[in-house]
Amino acid sequence: MGSVDRCDKTLPLNEMIFHVRRDAALRARWLTDLEGLAREFGLSAAEYEALRDRDVRRLHEIGVHQYYVPQILRLFYGAAANANSHPALQAYRRAYPEESARALRLQDELARRDR
Amino acid sequence: MARIVSAMALTHSPGLTGWFDQAPAHQQAEARRALGEMRERLAAARPDVVVLFTNDHLLNWPINNTPEYTVGIGEEHVGPADWYDEWLALAKYRIPGHPALARHIVNEGARRRLALSYLRQMQFDDGVSVPMHYLNPAGSVALVPVSMNCTVPPIPTPERAYHVGLTLRDVLRAYPGDERIAVLATGGLSHEPGGPRYFWVDEEFDRWFLDLLKKGDHAALLSECTLERMEEAGSGGTAELLAWILVLAFTTGPAEVLAYMPAIAWRSGTGMVAWNVAA
Repeated sequence: MGSVDRCDKTLPLNEMIFHVRRDAALRARWLTDLEGLAREFGLSAAEYEALRDRDVRRLHEIGVHQYYVPQILRLFYGAAANANSHPALQAYRRAYPEESARALRLQDELARRDR
Repeated sequence: MARIVSAMALTHSPGLTGWFDQAPAHQQAEARRALGEMRERLAAARPDVVVLFTNDHLLNWPINNTPEYTVGIGEEHVGPADWYDEWLALAKYRIPGHPALARHIVNEGARRRLALSYLRQMQFDDGVSVPMHYLNPAGSVALVPVSMNCTVPPIPTPERAYHVGLTLRDVLRAYPGDERIAVLATGGLSHEPGGPRYFWVDEEFDRWFLDLLKKGDHAALLSECTLERMEEAGSGGTAELLAWILVLAFTTGPAEVLAYMPAIAWRSGTGMVAWNVAA
């Protein structure tokens, strides 16, 4: 139906993110031992590489639940002040330039309309 | 027996606390006004407890086991979860629970063939934290959180949410106490968290949905507002409106739309509504 239906509920990466978000020790290892974490959770090479490359489109294509993708980016780039200009969101603009540009054009139109 | 004294719904987008000042000034002003009005209406209803319907953002349950509904039955609720506090820019809060009512919901739900999971210690993301920050800031009103799944396929349908709402209306009214209960739905409107259209807000859908609520015709809303229509307006996010449709089952007549903002800066159609409670 929608893009959320493309997720692979059995993907090890989807299990891994659930646990990392809830565990401070695992979060601390994210930036220092991502490869080790990936091995422990049984990620495939394709999963690990998409993760390592912070590649939004590839993460979607291999079946990561789309809600988890910005969470993955926040683990890399930080979670504070997560506005549309934040590096985590810039990764989305790179992955989906057309969809993102359309939304940001609408934002400009709305700003003009409401002035 | 317990009484339902208030029924309202609002968006819970993290931008409302985490990067509030990034929206245009008029949207900030409108959100502040509507949230203030909701807080006043809630206080005027003098509830003993808020039963809050929202969705779990894959925080309490892993993707291999996502119950349709979960009730927080603890003595006290503490949030936000550690992973969410920096994102939401919120300090930790504590709100008393209402274990007797929460356990009644679980057990009476089961007797009416409604499967409700429960947690003694629930973790809280934006779904509970943002609304409680604005509407129950001192934690003075007890809370029973009820989360649902609306993002891990298969996503339940609006008809199912409304049916669950009718059942829970009977369950809450059957509680053997004098409690005054406010029901509150949080989530929506159009948005697609983490999807290709992450920045998009479908203003046309949002205004159409709010117009359906203003008509107050539940059967018409259920026949027109299908899950497919919600998914078109933002996959995996717009269906958070299932919480609104669940609470719709507690109400009668037209909804009063307190505010609507197509807030791309907050990455969500943002709205607040109030209803009259069904007799």
